[in-house]
Formats: sequence, C-alpha cells, structure tokens
Amino acid sequence: MKFIETLKLAIAAIWAHKLRSALTLLGMIIGVTAFVVVVSLIQGFNKYIDEKIAGIGSKSFTVQRFNFEDFKDLDTIAAAQRRNKELTLDDYEYLKARATLIDKIGAKARASRALVKRGTKIAEDVPVDGAMPVIADIDNIDVAEGRYITEAENDSAMRVAFIGVDVATALFPAGSTSAIGEEINVAGLPYRIIGIAVAKGTVFGVPQDNFITLPLKTYGNNFGGFTRNRLLYFEATSKTDDTFKDAVDEARFLLRSRRHIKSDEKDNFGIVTPDAITGFRDRLLGPTYIVAIAVPGIALLVGAIVIMNIMLVSVTERTKEIGIRKSLGARRVDVLKQFLVEAVTLSAIGGAVGVLLAWIVGMIMTAIFFPTYLSLGAILFTIFVSGGIGIISGVFPAWKAARLDPIEALRAD
Amino acid sequence: MSDVTLAAPPTPSALPEQPVSAHDANSLISMRDIWKTYEMGSEQVHALHGVSFDIPKGEYIAIIGPSGSGKSTLMNLIGCLDTPSKGEYWLNAKNVSLMDDDELARIRNQEVGFVFQTFNLLARATALHNVELPLIYGGIGSSQRHEMAKEALRAVDLSDRITHRPNELSGGQRQRVAIARALVNHPSILLADEPTGALDTHTSMEIMDLFERLHGEGNTIIVVTHEHDIAERAHRVISIRDGLIEKDEKIR
Repeated sequence: MKFIETLKLAIAAIWAHKLRSALTLLGMIIGVTAFVVVVSLIQGFNKYIDEKIAGIGSKSFTVQRFNFEDFKDLDTIAAAQRRNKELTLDDYEYLKARATLIDKIGAKARASRALVKRGTKIAEDVPVDGAMPVIADIDNIDVAEGRYITEAENDSAMRVAFIGVDVATALFPAGSTSAIGEEINVAGLPYRIIGIAVAKGTVFGVPQDNFITLPLKTYGNNFGGFTRNRLLYFEATSKTDDTFKDAVDEARFLLRSRRHIKSDEKDNFGIVTPDAITGFRDRLLGPTYIVAIAVPGIALLVGAIVIMNIMLVSVTERTKEIGIRKSLGARRVDVLKQFLVEAVTLSAIGGAVGVLLAWIVGMIMTAIFFPTYLSLGAILFTIFVSGGIGIISGVFPAWKAARLDPIEALRAD
Repeated sequence: MSDVTLAAPPTPSALPEQPVSAHDANSLISMRDIWKTYEMGSEQVHALHGVSFDIPKGEYIAIIGPSGSGKSTLMNLIGCLDTPSKGEYWLNAKNVSLMDDDELARIRNQEVGFVFQTFNLLARATALHNVELPLIYGGIGSSQRHEMAKEALRAVDLSDRITHRPNELSGGQRQRVAIARALVNHPSILLADEPTGALDTHTSMEIMDLFERLHGEGNTIIVVTHEHDIAERAHRVISIRDGLIEKDEKIR
C-alpha cells in the first residue's frame, strides 16, 4: 500500500470524527503552545542580548572593578569589595601607553541619578554618566542631532551634555525650538546641550533613551569623583578580530603586573568580553530554561497519553473495519501503518496548531512588552517532536490493530 | 481404542472414496487430509477431521451443512483467513497451508474474492471506494484503480450508484457492491458465505441469478450456505457434517 493512500486514509478518519479529534488534540495543543511560547521568550531574550552585544561592537571588551563571578553571592561580593581596587585614570593612561594590541580605549564612569530642570520643566532621577569622546566610536553611538563630546570639552571639563530623546522631550515640549545649544540644569549646575542620541525605544520595560552623558572630567569634577557608585571602567577594541583574545590577555597581563599580582593569585579586577556576557547569561538562566521547558513538557506528555487512549478506543471501535481490510488483502504492516500514520498525522496537526497559536501569542507579547523570537529551527523541532509523540502514542494501538486475527475481527460488531 | 464411538474421527484410510494422494495439478483447489483443531481450555476440539476434495477451475460449487458442521471453518481455510492444523491446501498450484500471515494476505488479495452475509462494506466509503479497496492493497495506481472499480460496478449494473454510500443503497445493491469488490481483482475464486442470508427472497434470487451469470463468464464460485434452495443453484454440492464430507455430488 502506497504511503499517500495511507495518509489519505488517516486524514479521512480524523476528519470523520472532527469533534473527537479536536478534543483529543486539546491537551497536545496547550502543551505545544506553552512550550513554543516559552521557547520564543527565551530565544527573544537571547537574541536581544546578542544584538546588544553586536551593538556594543562584538570586538570590544570592558575592564572594570568587579568580575561576573564576584556577584555569585553576598560573601563573594564582600570579598571582592575588599580585594578589588577601584580603577583610576592612571590605570587608563598606563594601559593606553603600553598596550600594543588595543586599537581604541576610552574611559567611562557609572551613572548617578540626578534631578534635571529647564525653567519650570523637571525630569527626576535621570541617569547621568561621564564618558571620553572616543566612547562614541567604541559604543557605536548614533547621533540624531548635534554632535558627541569633543576632546577639548573633556580636557577643559566644560559643562556640556549629550542627552537621550526622552530627556529632550521631557524638557522641550514638541513644537518648541531645537534643544541643541539650550541650557539645562543638572543637579544644580547649568549645562549646554550639544547633541541628542538616536532613539532606541524600550526593552524589557526599561526605556533606553532616558540618559545624560557628560564629558568624563566634567562628571568627575561635579559629581564627587570616580568612587562609590561612579566607578571608572574602560572600554577597548582590538586592532584586528583575530587578535581580540590576545588583546584581552595583554590588557589583563599589563594590569596584573601594574598591581603586582602574584602568578597564583586571582585578578583583582574584571574583564568582560562578549563571550563572558553570553556565558554568564547561560549560566544564570540555564536552570531556568530547563524548568521553563519541562513544565510544558508535562502537558505534552499528558497530550500523548490522551492520543494513545483515543487511538486504543479507535482500534476497538474499528475492529470490524480492520477485519474487512485484512480479508481484502491488508497485511499486518498495512494496518500498522494505517493507525500509526493516523496517530502521527493527528499529533502533527496538534503541533502545527500549537505553533500557530504560540506564534500569535508571541506577536502579542512582542507588541506589548517583551521581545519574542521564534526561529524556523524551533518550529521544525516542535513539529518533529509532535510527530514523535504521535509515533510513541500510536505504536501500541497500531500494533494491537495489526495483530488482530481477521476471523475474530470480522465477527466483531 | 475401540471403534464403537461414532464421534471418534475415522482415519483417512477408512474412507476409500476419499483417497489421499498428491495434489491434483489440474485443480484450482486441492485439499488433502485437512484437519483443524481448536484448543478450548484443556480440551481439543476437532472442527475438521481430514477433509479432502478438488475443485477444478470454472466450477460452481456449494458447500452445505448445518451450523456447527465445520463449514465456516472450511470456508475460512478456503479463503486463506486461516491455515489448517494438518494437511495440505493447494490453491492455484501454491501450497497455502505453509504460508505466513503476510503471504496469506497477499493470496487473499490476489486469489480470493469474498462475499459476506452482512456485506461487510466500509460504511463511510462510497461504493467506488469500497470496490477499490482490494486494488489499493494490491498496489495499483489511482487512475487504473478507478477504471477497474468502475468496470466492476458496471458488471453488477451499479454504474449509476458509484458515489453512494452503503446506507444510501438497498440490501441487494449493497451485496452487488460487495460482489463487485470481490471480482475487481479478477481472483481465482469467488467465495460467498451465506450471500443471501440477509436478503429477502426476491433479492436473493436476483443475487443468485448474478452468480449464475458470473459463472457463465468463467468465474469459479464457491457458495457456503445452509439453505438447500441456494445450494441447488450450484453444479456440485459438498455436504459437511461433524467435520467430515458427508456427500459430494454433481447435481447438474
């Protein structure tokens, strides 16, 4: 018997019991939908981080006070706080002068929150940080209007500000004059706006356009130095992609020798590479993923049991039909295939409907608050798994049907 | 063992009118000392005690006997739905008694056309699809299958009913669909089990007329029945009683 005939037979049998088929598949559909939604959330999150890293420039790394490993628990945080010294501008000069594999290196300082005013307009709790002009190249900052900070502005600690769109709209209502060249008050001091960044929107509910960047020196002078929550950190790029790892190693070696760290001691600073970020993400979220995937997996298991049960009922119900088919020349393998293909088709339909529902749910979630992403691979994998569930739940009923004695089967009502 | 009990199966040598010999190469069907034994708990029940007969090609034969005589068992064996416990069954020069399940399925598909008392059509399928079923299992492509099935339905005068489902057809029409299905693969034998058992007298006569016509066209027909007037339409009648051939006579 040709496969296409078997498939036609399966579809006809499923179609003949539309309501039963739909109810049978309910568990399967719920399981697949939940599974695929979870997968698309995870994939969306991963893709977001990957894009973020690509945005930073995949071939850049960060030198900072703490390492990811230092945040494991309270004890390691406390130990790192005792051990790891704050980075200084002298460290920056040292690295810049000696590193041979680094292309660009720039210093930044972590943001403080500040009250920003312009006349009667107020923006509260705006993150304000400081950066060297070269950061514009390293971070690939896109300027919408005006320009980024210049060397001269940084060297003479001028009170200028590069701002995000949210700050601009908060202080300059639509239709009013351009913000460029206007003066705003940040934490009690006046600053002139020199540029506005291209809007980035909101990710995970966090607005990306609410910030003010000052020249690093200005920030250090006016906000109380690069200590406490305003720690200095350096961003660097390697000269070539191939020497990226070497550039990272060189920076680590230079800083270790400057700080006289013995060969058996750990770094007392942290170097963050894109690999370290994705590695940290995977370590942090790996167990979460397993749980998130296991729970819909249970729904899938229940769905499989329901399909098996209905297939067993179907075999009993159709004993006479099996007898007729056998009397007309159906071999065991023909009957086996008939019921197996029916179970697989049934669950593949369930899988496809589940994927479709999950895709719709994903679109809605993306539109509302959370980026989701569903790869073709994940879709194919899910349909493959659905088919596998069909085989697992169909093989026993199909085997039962195949080994029916034709005489007994013909005698059934 | 004494031979006073009638129930004791006679040995084949005790029946000189049924000699056990090598199968007849000219016969379509050649049964040699066929036994069928069922296990009923610890007891052994012999449904057939060494039956032998030959059926040449083109014969119209009736197998008659009361219920419990073993005629259903014999029909299942002739139809290759079952294999004998002992003995040889040659069908179209093939030793069917040694075949496994899949080989038997192939023989049923190619050599045997069944007609059942209760028609045994698939309720959800059209007349055409029902007739196509043996061809599907025979691996015949869909366009050729359609043609063959339509031809078979034409042969039983149902060309105008091919898209009807069994519940849209009368009993006689259903049985004619079943006959078309039995004939569509051009089998060696048409094996009918109480073909008129579920039909009224008038329709029964129509079906028997159809069998007569099909026989006239060269088909080998075996009708299993307990009704004498049905059996008398055949050219040869084999009577079965208590698992043995009681009588085997040409009546026409």
